[in-house]
Amino acid sequence: MHYDLLRRGLEAPICLTWEMTYACNLRCVHCLSSSGKRAPDELTTAEARRLLDSWAEMQVFYINVGGGEPMTRPDFFELMEYAIDRRIGVKFSTNGTLVDGAAARWIASTDYLDVQISLDGAVPEVNDPIRGAGSYARARRAMELLAAEGFPFKANHVVTRHSFGELDDLHAMVTGMGGQLRVTRLRPSGRGREVWKALKLTAEQNRSLYAWLRAHPDVLTGDSFFHLSALGSPLDGLNMCGAGRIVCCVDPRGDVYACPFVLAPEFRAGNVRDEPFRAIWSDSPLFRRMREWEVGGQCRSCGAYDRCHGGCMAVKHFTGASLDDPDPECVFGMGSPLPVLN
Amino acid sequence: MKLGDRLRLDDAVSLRPERFGALAYSYRDRQLLFIDRSLLPFIDSDGRRPLGEIADELVARGELRRDAMPGLMTVLEGLRRKGVVHAL
Repeated sequence: MHYDLLRRGLEAPICLTWEMTYACNLRCVHCLSSSGKRAPDELTTAEARRLLDSWAEMQVFYINVGGGEPMTRPDFFELMEYAIDRRIGVKFSTNGTLVDGAAARWIASTDYLDVQISLDGAVPEVNDPIRGAGSYARARRAMELLAAEGFPFKANHVVTRHSFGELDDLHAMVTGMGGQLRVTRLRPSGRGREVWKALKLTAEQNRSLYAWLRAHPDVLTGDSFFHLSALGSPLDGLNMCGAGRIVCCVDPRGDVYACPFVLAPEFRAGNVRDEPFRAIWSDSPLFRRMREWEVGGQCRSCGAYDRCHGGCMAVKHFTGASLDDPDPECVFGMGSPLPVLN
Repeated sequence: MKLGDRLRLDDAVSLRPERFGALAYSYRDRQLLFIDRSLLPFIDSDGRRPLGEIADELVARGELRRDAMPGLMTVLEGLRRKGVVHAL
């Protein structure tokens, strides 16, 4: 039922991702936005405030704030408080390196604020090759500071074939600290494109992950694995691609994309410096097309279509598949490239 | 839930109109709920009028069938239990 209600789009996003800056003090190998250096033309504080005003008017329920590392922006705390004062919930993602005692106290004392610390392994030997030397210790320190404040943080884990075997350990560690584990899908976006084949889960791991998630309903996924719902009972969540329909992404320069995993010109709907966000959301030709479109092709004759709806658009796009093709990680193997016959 | 109850939306719940009715989002437990348009006059009344009075008016205007009311009351009770609305 939700799919039919949501497929044609909403008056405003349920939530949107706001990549505040491309500046980052880490260089994760799978970074969706290929972050590193701040872009010279990122939105100013005044422009960011106007954007938040427009989201408040539209009653966007909450924003997922990321980057880059959002805490590198000097106006980070100011803008987060500005959003919350306007009744926009904030969920921000951080690598944790800039979370000190004062930041932890601010986080713990602020309503409508969720924080997720990125952690890509239960031990440094698995995490650090992906996120950089010393990043495990710094993320762990941030979690300890938040735990000391009694704050129920989230730890976000992009699961790879190397970290898959650590899910139980990660779950135990995070919940043991009073936090909640969030597991998300590796996508071939940004720098992730270069490591996707080497790090993506095997078909067997994907099947095991489905069972593991079903057995751990306390683990959040951000609707990341809806392609796995084809295996049986749907996983928690809306189980659909919400790009341009119920979510979108605004990048540091004000470009509006269909979702944070498709920062590509083909999926750019407009820029908030050229036209109001509301107009882009409601009337951009790209978003209008996406609200009419449904995955076609062989997925339509699949018995699991109602549960996975053809999978993730971004994964298809960045692996060179047609958007009407099955998800490249289709659990029935339909996403594998067809042999070329000469 | 009784027809004499008046309903008020929880302070931590945001209600946004949509073509099918509304979306309700609770900042307390981060839950999203789909609200059918038939429920909106009861939920969005800010505790001013009893449910029975709102229902009578909707029936008189031909916007509600009287026999739909027991089902609506069950759904409203479910929303009260979830903390989305409070009965006054």
